Amino acid sequence: MLCRMGGSLVWSAPPMIRVRGMRKSYRTGKLSTEVLRGIDLEIETGEFVSIIGPSGSGKSTLLHAVGGLDNDYGGSIEVDGKDLRTLSDRQLSAYRNGNVGFVFQSFYLLPHLTLIENVSLPAVFDRGDQALADGPLLDRAHEVLRLVDLEDRAQSKPTMLSGGQRQRVAIARALFNRPKLLLGDEPTGNLDSKLGAQVIELFRKLNHDSGITVLIVTHDPRVSQITDRTLRVEDGRLFEGASPASGATAPEGEADGTSSPAEIAAKPVELEEAGA
Amino acid sequence: MRSSRISRLVVANIRRSRNHFMLASIGIVVGIATFSFFIALAQGVRAVVLGKIFPLDQLEVVPKSLDVAVGPLALGTSTFGGDVIDDAKVTQLAAIPGVAIVYPKMRLTVPSIVWGGEALLGANLRSELVADGINPALVQADVGSGLEFRDFDDPSDPANSAPERCRTDADCGEHRWCGPPAATRRTRRNDGDDTGVIPRGTPMVCRHYVPILVSENIVELYNGGLRRAHALPKLVPDSVLGLTFNLVIGASMVEASNKGYLIEEKAMLVGFSRKAISLGLTMPVGYIQRFNVDFGSPDDAQRYHSAIVMVPEKDDVAAVAKGVADLGLEVADTGAEQAALLIAIFTLIFALVSGVIVGIAAVNIMHVFFMLVYERQHEIGIMRAVGASRGDILRIILGEAALLGAMAGVVGVAIAFGSSLVFDWISANYVPDFPYKPETYFVFPWWLVASALGFAVGFCILGALLPARRAARMEPAAVLSGH
Repeated sequence: MLCRMGGSLVWSAPPMIRVRGMRKSYRTGKLSTEVLRGIDLEIETGEFVSIIGPSGSGKSTLLHAVGGLDNDYGGSIEVDGKDLRTLSDRQLSAYRNGNVGFVFQSFYLLPHLTLIENVSLPAVFDRGDQALADGPLLDRAHEVLRLVDLEDRAQSKPTMLSGGQRQRVAIARALFNRPKLLLGDEPTGNLDSKLGAQVIELFRKLNHDSGITVLIVTHDPRVSQITDRTLRVEDGRLFEGASPASGATAPEGEADGTSSPAEIAAKPVELEEAGA
Repeated sequence: MRSSRISRLVVANIRRSRNHFMLASIGIVVGIATFSFFIALAQGVRAVVLGKIFPLDQLEVVPKSLDVAVGPLALGTSTFGGDVIDDAKVTQLAAIPGVAIVYPKMRLTVPSIVWGGEALLGANLRSELVADGINPALVQADVGSGLEFRDFDDPSDPANSAPERCRTDADCGEHRWCGPPAATRRTRRNDGDDTGVIPRGTPMVCRHYVPILVSENIVELYNGGLRRAHALPKLVPDSVLGLTFNLVIGASMVEASNKGYLIEEKAMLVGFSRKAISLGLTMPVGYIQRFNVDFGSPDDAQRYHSAIVMVPEKDDVAAVAKGVADLGLEVADTGAEQAALLIAIFTLIFALVSGVIVGIAAVNIMHVFFMLVYERQHEIGIMRAVGASRGDILRIILGEAALLGAMAGVVGVAIAFGSSLVFDWISANYVPDFPYKPETYFVFPWWLVASALGFAVGFCILGALLPARRAARMEPAAVLSGH
């Protein structure tokens, strides 16, 4: 992708995530609450980004929309070049299956299935031509369990695991289909600080070793300290940086709700400078 | 591969919620068991009633004028004129589309008595004789092994021109007896005499018994009622083959009907046939012709009194009945249609009752699935998060319902089958014999089992449809974030 930077054209890879003017409201009876009020965001491939903000600020809403769990919003979200709003339910499901790995605060493991069955759950819904046969599927399940250091518990049920172990299984499940994007929704929220640190370290390692793009919504300040970039959602708007006092600025184009491609492409550079 | 994995997930879900599902499926099991039990019962009763008592695949065709001219006690309404069944009419009947074969039958029109049976029953039975004749060639398949059903006294048979003389039955060997030649007229000693006197000088010759076929109705009626009233032994159809008894033609238990002379014959039971007269004896038509002519006129030899018309396809019965009417004849009312209607009504009532039970069960299934969907909303959410589409969720929930229905259906049919065995056992051991008492009251055709399973699966799917739709429409983001 050709972009203008400082008066000259430079080659830049398209961002992994591009959000433009995203708005989201929740309706309760006759009352409509606008949670997100025109979000613009770009995240490059391989970035490790955290989003912080007060409870109810809309950070999880943004994460779910980027992950294709919700496509009832205003504006547009493109991930890896796909405009998610234009996808049918089936296409959106295939997108989640093939491109996104989710890790939630409450793990959401299926209690009646073994760890092997839990981590290979994405394979059940794999529509792709490359869907794994039973043999390779098992190999892959063992591989991701090994990655989170739980291979020896492959035949256990989730109820036999500690919270930290369950979250590692959830991470293994998220990694099963080799996603391009790993989304964490308060992944350390239910863990004590030690286990939380281990999980975050796992995210960091995955991002560092595999180059997988990671976006984490968190209240945990330790997470935002180790991510490449921290975004803050406040009053329905997205700001760069952990707090207003950190010197981070609101996304450019906020005033008119738009950002030029050149401006968006420049943001990571600005962030490095700002966060340095 | 994807379908098989979803199926495995369905099985795992069923296994996990087995207690819920067991409770939910009780209604389906009861409904399907009721449905299978009563429809099988209706089929079994239908098989007995329409297969044995009122066979639907055969019609008895009679001349219109024979409405009240039945048996030897005929009141003399016209059997003359153009509405008798003669050879021409038989040919026309056979030509009606849908008719497989026609069995013309001639009724014995002479008052007669049958008596005998002491050797088998310990006492002689005596009854007014109702008999008809049929072409032996048409019923050979019904004749018992080692026995014959043919006109042994046919005057045109050269074998009968020089009968073998004898003094006792022993001189004549098996299946023959020693007596006066065929059609020997005996003189009555008085009005009440029904044995008569053989004319002096009549030679004794070896005679064949008159072969007799009877309907199994006779044995059923005997076993089911008569034997109890007279404390006689039970008869098994095959054991009575070879039974001999006496026929006295021209004698009647109604004294006024007695003829001036008698012809006595000995007869032997040689088989059972559905073409035999329902209550009476059937013999080769030659005997009936000779008896009727002997006591009546030569024209009586050409006049059939009814014809059995075989119609293999039930759907053809109405058309054949119309064809019969077009020939100036009519189908005797056997009660088959009324019986069939009655059975159909009972079947319908039982099916409706079962349907109501299964319907109520489906509502119960719906409640259980709504509850399960609510309990599993996070699981549904996570399945959506890892790539399940709305259709996948629908398939999983409905798959569970279908599997539940199939299992409930199998259990329901098994319970119905087990109950039928118990019912039959109780009937065989504790219910007194009655006419046409069957060995089993139940018939479980393949379509009954298939439709029972189909209903079970269908109603379960129906019950789970709304919960499944709700699950499929669940917004995963809302479910997973608790909004």
